[in-house]
Amino acid sequence: MSTTHGHAHGSTSGGMRGHKWGALRREWIKLLFQRRSYLIWGGAFVIPFLIALAFYLTRHNPENGGGGPPFVERITSNGMFVTLAALFFLIGFLLPLAAAMVAGYMIAGEAELGTLRILLLRPVRRGSFILAKWTIAMAYLGVGFLLMLASGLLFGGIFFGLHPIVTFSGTTVSVPHGLVLIVLSMLYGLAAMACIVSMSLLFSTLTDSSLTALIGTIVIYIVLTVLIQFSWFDWLKPWVFPTYLQEFTSFFRDPIYWRPIVKGLGVFALWSGVLTFAAYLAFRRKDVLS
Amino acid sequence: MESSETHDVAEAQTVSEPEGARPEQHSCGGRAPILTTHALTKQFGNLRAVDGLEIEVCKGDVFGFLGPNGAGKTTVIRLVLGLIHPTSGYAEVCGHRVPGELQGALRHVGGFVDDPTFYPLMSARRNLRLLGSMTGPVSEERIDEVLEIVALDAGADDRVGGFSHGMKQRLGIAQALLHSPELIVLDEPTSGLDPRGMKDVRELIRELGAAGTTVFLSSHLLHEVEQVCTRAVIINKGRVVVQGPVSELRPQNDAIKVLTGDQGRAGEVLRGQFGAAGVKEDEGFLVVEAGEDAVPEMVRRLVAGNVDVRAVVPAGEQGLEDFFLELTYDAGDSEPKKRRAGLARLLHGGRR
Repeated sequence: MSTTHGHAHGSTSGGMRGHKWGALRREWIKLLFQRRSYLIWGGAFVIPFLIALAFYLTRHNPENGGGGPPFVERITSNGMFVTLAALFFLIGFLLPLAAAMVAGYMIAGEAELGTLRILLLRPVRRGSFILAKWTIAMAYLGVGFLLMLASGLLFGGIFFGLHPIVTFSGTTVSVPHGLVLIVLSMLYGLAAMACIVSMSLLFSTLTDSSLTALIGTIVIYIVLTVLIQFSWFDWLKPWVFPTYLQEFTSFFRDPIYWRPIVKGLGVFALWSGVLTFAAYLAFRRKDVLS
Repeated sequence: MESSETHDVAEAQTVSEPEGARPEQHSCGGRAPILTTHALTKQFGNLRAVDGLEIEVCKGDVFGFLGPNGAGKTTVIRLVLGLIHPTSGYAEVCGHRVPGELQGALRHVGGFVDDPTFYPLMSARRNLRLLGSMTGPVSEERIDEVLEIVALDAGADDRVGGFSHGMKQRLGIAQALLHSPELIVLDEPTSGLDPRGMKDVRELIRELGAAGTTVFLSSHLLHEVEQVCTRAVIINKGRVVVQGPVSELRPQNDAIKVLTGDQGRAGEVLRGQFGAAGVKEDEGFLVVEAGEDAVPEMVRRLVAGNVDVRAVVPAGEQGLEDFFLELTYDAGDSEPKKRRAGLARLLHGGRR
């Protein structure tokens, strides 16, 4: 080995130009170099296909679709509902699980791997670092939602065709209008996941184990979900985010029933904001011993 | 051996006072200090890992940071690099106060703490690109250059997950060099390397020092520090025991170590010449407080007394290792010393 000294570093490497987006780009690249990223995305793409296939294979069964909201029962007559059915089935558990996994890995996973200490030897502010992590976790989930949307429309179209949607109010909206409503529903679902991402990120700053962060988040989420099932806790319902998870169905009223949607978005923003700030405070003072 | 207070360590500053004591201000002799700590303290629960530490690294130093396991070396490095927060006190790195102005300080520092770790599915080159971009723009040419410096150019595009421990150590050094920092902090960079790798890394450190880069080298390998460093500090239990130029860290008193076929008889002869207080036993040797001038007469007397003289060694040759052990010796734990004394007797065939 030999060394020379005093080098200029004028030209930048192609992939790393621009400080403004550099942190986000780095985090995105790191996600792309994790196998689990593709597993979750793969799941997001496959599940609508499985739902469409299941409904297609049992389309002559009169029991088909019982127990869900009306659009689940209408899947066999309109492929537009496949994506919504996937969102309906997944938003209760699998999407929160995926969100908790991704965000839980963000800090604790780096600590487990040992890369956190080498990253923090670079002149990055911990606040920017955690904000980039939160943003990329949300972007990652956004891609998952996009895959779910694409898969639902693709296989819904293949199996059942895409037709104008009959809303819960009985009116019919065109396919393009229906698509806008579906996209809005997905965005609402994504906003709901911000609460889980922030909570998991907070746990991720408090532990050096991504599994602990994941379990901590899911346990709290389950506790909240269970609590609001009991009437004694009715006073709690307006303040906890699981109450509003399925309010995306309000997009399918004519006119759109905005009140629960806006309230839900407000609660999501509150939870996410407070938890992300708490994560920042915890990380700012964290002693990196991993 | 006696406690450290008995040694006259020229210019090297020994701190043997109990807690609360602070060493004198050190001088860089016209050079600017690049890393200083000021009453730096870190408490973990009931454990005071770093206790009012005062060290000073001057620009251009290849500075050895020594201490036994658990002395607090890695904790100090983490404090200095802002990975953990001090309970009290602070560090100044390249003119920036840490933790207050951490980002400013880290712009001038490269290094690693513990084993350097990387993203296993990325290539060495991509890891460097990713880490380098966090400090500022880094060219592909510079990445190639540092990979060549650490002899990893051939594996630049291989996944780090397949790298050996030694290759990861070298990649750790490469990422530390990326932005040609003023100060490089290396935490046991030769740990786990084979002899060839160790030699290469030490050469690299020497070259960095010769090129004007300040290197802060944490190591438990004393001969490594002796070979590579210009100045050093020895810490124990989170406190400075001694710091100064490596050449002056050894005890400078006049003393001679004597090994004979009959140490008991030799002791009687030597005490007759130098007095009881002038002759001590240490690890199978007799240590005589005398200069080299006294050697001919001493040997004559031993031979006249029918004692076979096997070795006469200036105690000044005592290495940093012995001195280190002496300084960091815990009075409550006499076993290691007894073991060493036994081993010395065995090796030298001495009798008592």
